[in-house]
Amino acid sequence: MTQPIRATDPGQSTKPPARSWIAVALAWTAVGVPLLWGVYVTLQKAMRLFE
Amino acid sequence: MIGGLLSRERIIAQPGFNRWLVPPAALAIHLSIGMAYGFSVFWLPLSRAIGITEPVACPADAGFLTQITTTTCDWKISTLGWMYTLFFVFLGSSAAVFGRWLERVGPRRAGVVAAFCWGGGFFISALGIHWHQIWMLWLGSGVLGGCGLGLGYISPVSTLIKWFPDRRGMATGMAIMGFGGGAMIGAPLADLLMRRFASPTSVGVVETFLVMGTIYFVAMMAGAFVYRVPPADWKPAGWTPKHQQGGMITNRHVHVDVAWLTPQFWLLWAVLCLNVSAGIGVIGMASPMIQEVFGGKLIGQDGALAALAEADRTQVATIGAAFAGLLSLFNIAGRIWWASLSDYMGRKQTYFLFFSLGAVLYAAVPTAGRSGSVALFVGIFCLILTMYGGGFATVPAYLADIFGTQFVGAIHGRLLTAWSTAGVLGPVLVNYIREYQIDHGVPNAQAYNTTMYILAGLLVVGFACNLAVRPVAERHYLTDEELARLRDSK
Repeated sequence: MTQPIRATDPGQSTKPPARSWIAVALAWTAVGVPLLWGVYVTLQKAMRLFE
Repeated sequence: MIGGLLSRERIIAQPGFNRWLVPPAALAIHLSIGMAYGFSVFWLPLSRAIGITEPVACPADAGFLTQITTTTCDWKISTLGWMYTLFFVFLGSSAAVFGRWLERVGPRRAGVVAAFCWGGGFFISALGIHWHQIWMLWLGSGVLGGCGLGLGYISPVSTLIKWFPDRRGMATGMAIMGFGGGAMIGAPLADLLMRRFASPTSVGVVETFLVMGTIYFVAMMAGAFVYRVPPADWKPAGWTPKHQQGGMITNRHVHVDVAWLTPQFWLLWAVLCLNVSAGIGVIGMASPMIQEVFGGKLIGQDGALAALAEADRTQVATIGAAFAGLLSLFNIAGRIWWASLSDYMGRKQTYFLFFSLGAVLYAAVPTAGRSGSVALFVGIFCLILTMYGGGFATVPAYLADIFGTQFVGAIHGRLLTAWSTAGVLGPVLVNYIREYQIDHGVPNAQAYNTTMYILAGLLVVGFACNLAVRPVAERHYLTDEELARLRDSK
């Protein structure tokens, strides 16, 4: 269990470790895939406007 | 135990936490609650929940109480449509009421409560559909779900602004884009699920609500548990604040209870209300307008809409729906585009552009209709919709610039009452003006013109309100001692 940092600690500006980008990529994939599917479905319907 | 897990202390980020995890967490919540826009996909199946193939009409003399408790005749679409009003009224009021609580307890607890409200609303509604009690849908999805909308909407705003002081607009734009995009995922998903669960004895909505409620609950809980808040005064490596004395970006803070008494708050309230009123008005008109203005031309024929054969009118209606879909894409794109651009242009300048270019575009719609150019007409509407979405997404950063970041979530919550107001004002204005003109003999296709000029007028008023926004008076800012006391008390 990680220890919380007190709110009064000074601001941190350290660079995130390289492995944290794997979690970032996974998180973006989890929200990006459904979003892209929604955009695709909407675009498909919208294309009728130009047929 | 659970209380500790949700506490603000627990979610203060460790050094090295990657701030880019926060926007997808916010998106998970906003994409879930954004389904509020897509609820109309349920209206038709719910309007025949008893009749299954055809709606069973209630007796003409059925009173209000009978209609909301009946188990023998179907609900009207207009009765179901009250859900939208409840959504947006409770979104605004819960954001206003609970914004300060959110600032105290942190985004995780607020996100978890939002997940229970929004997901729980689906479950209560599923029971309401099973027992055919519309009041349970109003209470479940409308009231409880509406509170989930408000809490979920504001839950990441303050956190994102604190994580991205260098790109406030982009950060909040990413989250608020999700609210616009939720229906793009939710509506087709609901359609797929209803087809899957439909049977000779059911329209499949109960099961669909249960599945979607579960999906949204899980997605929102996941988002809430990824939330982390930065330590006080956290800054990205190598970044220095752009604050200028007397400029439009402050590095100090105004308390929420003071902020809402300043002229700046009410000017920004008017800015949001007018931009949204005009946008909602246009969204409501877009599909019928393109059909009535261009009629048969949309399918390569001559003649007005009323003169077309039934099959041709259906084809034109399909094109109208496609137009509405295209506009929703531009609404979403505008949220991320304009909010990100505002980081470079400045918030005030961005709203100047919305109101000046917007007023010109609204006023140009009748001319575009008369010109007969469908492409020009569609292009104008698409651009208008980007600025409607951009208005929502840029306002949290505008508030942070003016009032500081300490209470921006709570201040934003109170500002969202402007949205609730616009949700009533926009459609009423558009419908009333249109009916008045038609009653006075104006042809259907031309009845939109005056409305567009009046909406352009709203934007001119918005321009003046934006022009009047100045930095907050010195006396309103918290002193360093007051700020330290507040942070310690958290």
